[in-house]
Amino acid sequence: MTPDEERLARAALLRIAECGDRELGELVATFGPGATLAGIRQGTVDARGLPAWQARLPLVRPEQDLEAAERIGARLICPGESEWPSQLDDLDCESPLGLYVRGPDDLRLAAVRSVAVVGARAATSYGNHVAGELAAGVAERGWTVVSGGAFGIDAAAHRGALAVGGSTVSVLASGLDITYPRGHEPLLDRIAEEGWLVSEVPPGVAPSRFRFLVRNRLIAALTRGTVVVEAARRSGSLRTAKNANDLGRVLMGVPGPITSGLSAGVHHLLRTMGGVLVTSPAEIVDAVGLIGEDLAPATQGPRRKTDGLSAEALRVFEALPAKGPAPVERLAVTAGLPATRTLAELGGLALSGLVERVDGGWRLSRRTRG
Amino acid sequence: MAVARTWSVGLTGVDGRLVEVEADVSNGMPGFFLVGLADTAVTEARDRVRAALVNSGESWPNRRLTVSLSPADMHKRGSAFDLALAAVVLGATGSLRTNSLPELVLLGELGLDGRVRPVRGVLPAVATAAQAGLTQVVVSEADVAEAALVPGVAVLGVRSLRQLLAVLRDTEPPDEDLPPLRRTVRAAPLLREPPDLADVRGQMEARRAVEICAAGEHNLLLLGVPGAGKTMLAERLPGLLPALDRDAALEVTAIQSVAGVLPPNGQLVTKPPFCSPHHSATVAAIVGGGSRDVRPGAVSLAHRGVLFLDEAPEFASNVLNALREPMESGEVVIARSGLTARLPSQFVLALAANPCPCGFDGLASEMCECPSVVRRRYLGRLSGPLRDRMDVQVLVDRPSRVEMFDGTTPESTAVVAERVRLARDRAAHRFAGLPWSVNGQLPGRDLRRRFRAAPGASIQVEEAFARGTLTARGVDRVLRLAWTLADLAGRDRPGVLEMGEALAYRTGLRGGLAA
Repeated sequence: MTPDEERLARAALLRIAECGDRELGELVATFGPGATLAGIRQGTVDARGLPAWQARLPLVRPEQDLEAAERIGARLICPGESEWPSQLDDLDCESPLGLYVRGPDDLRLAAVRSVAVVGARAATSYGNHVAGELAAGVAERGWTVVSGGAFGIDAAAHRGALAVGGSTVSVLASGLDITYPRGHEPLLDRIAEEGWLVSEVPPGVAPSRFRFLVRNRLIAALTRGTVVVEAARRSGSLRTAKNANDLGRVLMGVPGPITSGLSAGVHHLLRTMGGVLVTSPAEIVDAVGLIGEDLAPATQGPRRKTDGLSAEALRVFEALPAKGPAPVERLAVTAGLPATRTLAELGGLALSGLVERVDGGWRLSRRTRG
Repeated sequence: MAVARTWSVGLTGVDGRLVEVEADVSNGMPGFFLVGLADTAVTEARDRVRAALVNSGESWPNRRLTVSLSPADMHKRGSAFDLALAAVVLGATGSLRTNSLPELVLLGELGLDGRVRPVRGVLPAVATAAQAGLTQVVVSEADVAEAALVPGVAVLGVRSLRQLLAVLRDTEPPDEDLPPLRRTVRAAPLLREPPDLADVRGQMEARRAVEICAAGEHNLLLLGVPGAGKTMLAERLPGLLPALDRDAALEVTAIQSVAGVLPPNGQLVTKPPFCSPHHSATVAAIVGGGSRDVRPGAVSLAHRGVLFLDEAPEFASNVLNALREPMESGEVVIARSGLTARLPSQFVLALAANPCPCGFDGLASEMCECPSVVRRRYLGRLSGPLRDRMDVQVLVDRPSRVEMFDGTTPESTAVVAERVRLARDRAAHRFAGLPWSVNGQLPGRDLRRRFRAAPGASIQVEEAFARGTLTARGVDRVLRLAWTLADLAGRDRPGVLEMGEALAYRTGLRGGLAA
């Protein structure tokens, strides 16, 4: 079967069965998509779902689906292809048969170091703020933020990642050409431009409650860990959390006030589902990162003021006289760096409050001297 | 008698509009009736034209003369219609054949002796005519060079009314003994030749700040004690800006012409202007306007160049506030009853300020006697929104004795201007097809979305923002400057070094960073 034929077959199958249909998944795993499709058409497969699948055969129109995808700049990727994120195969027979993707070519690369940030739709301002900050923080550390594009925590997480120019993937429960929720059209457009929109659902198909629940498994599977920021006791995010646990992914939760119903779900997750309590991007990365690579700094006591300065910054800092200001040119000579480089380091030092500019040049700030 | 018609141009600000000048002679009580919302200078034309005609050997008709300046609902100002009025009066009485008049545009004031005097605003007036397809223009001899700046126009310069009539009647030119007229130029606070940067010794940061402002068209705030050289530095900024392209040169020349400050040789202004009004200037002097006329203010005289406010806190606060509109929209809109004039005013703003009213600030060697409240309030006169627009803020130190006499020659304007030119080319290339041409024009939104720094370069700045050390707009400003630094360094995107250096150009007076 050529790749194109396989793609058409999978596009057809995505119309026939609901996402995550175990039975269909097993058949495709055993016989391949083409044979499975043929078998359904001819009625020769032995499966409980056959009547339902056959009933949907009239809906099958793979060429149009692929064309519709192309019209919005999307493509259908299939398991085994170079762009297919292999971690999705952990879903076994519930693995998606294909994914419609809108975004640059390297979804797989983006998803390798990725973290899901999910939570309640009716989030509080605390939840929104925290979701945004955590997402921005992990994005800055080079991790892709994955979420569902819904109101509340999802949107805040996407925005947080976008704000720092990081990568974000939104897994939708509708066809990629359908904007849901409508109010998120600008956000989803932006993600389409600067990140990835992903869906198991063919173009033109509207979301449904079922599709929302099953897409959560994709979010959990795609990522190395899932952070639940705010969730009520009966939230859909807990479903994602369970998926994550079942898949052996790291499960994390951000606590909130014990008086808040919207944090009750997270607290439950932390108590009974083995979730790790996280309060900062560094802790998230520590939890999902590889050992030795991404360790968070153990929070120490007060740091020395010159901790964390680069070698050049330190040279410039030490070139400053103990008293009185010195012009850049002189500091540059003492530090052994070009003048513009010295000025650049001084800018950074000023930002950290270590030096200041006064009449006559640069000097140690009062705080540093005193 | 048939109606005689010709054309002239009326100006509102620097925009011209064709004015049709008609004269009709009819029966009835003799008199001269001028219609068309004419101001005093225009209505006085009757006396000038009459004297000029008579003294040129023509006769003033003793009939009922109606002269109309159309469109009737546009205010007509100034004396430039004199020549056209004289022509149509003669045409209506039959003393002049009228078939060529409707194809001509006449601009000139008449002296009582019949001489044709130069007027302001010839360039925009002729440009308006040319745009409307009227390409035969008659102006005073003294205005020929300016009129000829407009391409595709045939210009006739006349010294006297008699001379013009001879041309129109196709007869021998008169033998007159009239000395040529030169246009008088109002004294203007404009620098003709920008001085050289090589005159500034030492001052590495301030020199670099001026270079950056030229490369990105960023606004510049120079702080320092008297004698530090702030004025010297500001005066050298326009010399680093590239020469005006053709369209910009025509704009600037038109503005200077309307303002009456164009030099008499009538050449195209190709150097970016430098306008430095005194701090006692009124709002009208800065922004434009005037009681009758609409004269360009300092902001328009600085269009495409540099507006320098020395001793900025000494300017009246309503004057400083009036800067906001032109800085935001690049033009000044003057609305009066009956007219709305738009004057272009896109400039780089340079401000110089002492640390406090007495000039000093409790610095090492000088004694400042002002209480701290006075000091704080002094710089506070530069309001928040204005300071917000000053991308670059630097302290200018007094040059040390070593720097003054160390014998090395600092880089000249030519050398630095070349770097600036290369940097601007990079930016122009980056902005191809977009509405901006320099980094200074980039709005914050687009800056954040499409022109981000290299990955990892902004971490320090973002953390400062998180701590509250920098405001959101402060972060934008740093990034904008960093782009200009990247352009100057020939880099594709600003990295950590450019961000760091950009921070250094935002030092406030208290030593800390301007948020």
